[in-house]
Amino acid sequence: MIIPATSRTPEVAFSEQQCSIKGECYPEDISEFSIPIMENIKLGVGEADAYKVEIELYYFNSSSAKFFFDFFDFLDESAAGNKEISVIWRYREDDDTMQDAGEEFQEDLGNLIFKLEQLD
Amino acid sequence: MNTKSIQLHELMLSRGTFFCYAGPLSEEVLTSISGVVKDQLTDSDSDLLIKKKVFSIFIEQAQNIIRYSGARLEKSGVGSVSISHTDTGFVLEAVNEINPTDQVRVAQMLDELQSMDESELKRAYRERMKSGPPEGSVGAGLGFIEVARRSSSFDYAFEERGGVLLFLYRGWVEVPKA
Repeated sequence: MIIPATSRTPEVAFSEQQCSIKGECYPEDISEFSIPIMENIKLGVGEADAYKVEIELYYFNSSSAKFFFDFFDFLDESAAGNKEISVIWRYREDDDTMQDAGEEFQEDLGNLIFKLEQLD
Repeated sequence: MNTKSIQLHELMLSRGTFFCYAGPLSEEVLTSISGVVKDQLTDSDSDLLIKKKVFSIFIEQAQNIIRYSGARLEKSGVGSVSISHTDTGFVLEAVNEINPTDQVRVAQMLDELQSMDESELKRAYRERMKSGPPEGSVGAGLGFIEVARRSSSFDYAFEERGGVLLFLYRGWVEVPKA
């Protein structure tokens, strides 16, 4: 299932045991954006023992930051409950903002595997 | 009759204002104008990080107006947002009417942020994310902190004009010398 990108939201793709988020994120309506994602991720993680998330963001606003925080919080709690959850946070070379953002999220997540990966 | 038109042109050019929007501001309007701002920034010479900082501040200021300005339409705030070149970088200026009952709370939040260094702002940001929206806030309450983090400096003022209270909020982004 793919939620296509818009000028203000990333592409979000769900496949078996996997989710990928790619693009920019400053939605017109944060609830409209986030509710389907949380529904799908809860469904996906609920049905699997292992789940992988790949994230490649170029910009996100403060409302989105709060969403991602809650998103990772759910994943981290799932990991604490014996699910194998991994997140790859990708950022472009020279994008200190996105690298820092990834590192900040990483600091708060004690249970899941959170890797940062620089894109060439 | 031509004078006022020319004055506007000269005013914008003389203060280096390459983008300005004034009026009802909704998320739909923001979608359109943020596209324009992105294009303008893409054309400019600055590096990616500078452009992203400018764009971040712009979005936060605009959404602040959309959600909280004192003057409201159905799904819009009312105010102005502008972006200008300075000798050393960029300045983003936002002005909107504000409810006098909000003045103390807004001033307190911004004063507190003014006194923080980078690591304190980072900590405030994370604490705010974990604790949820503050009283009176629709969004995450993170917008002010985000502007404080992305700008080289910011300031604000309240001014009474014609019976309404205006809130001026400015952020500067300095371009490091090569």
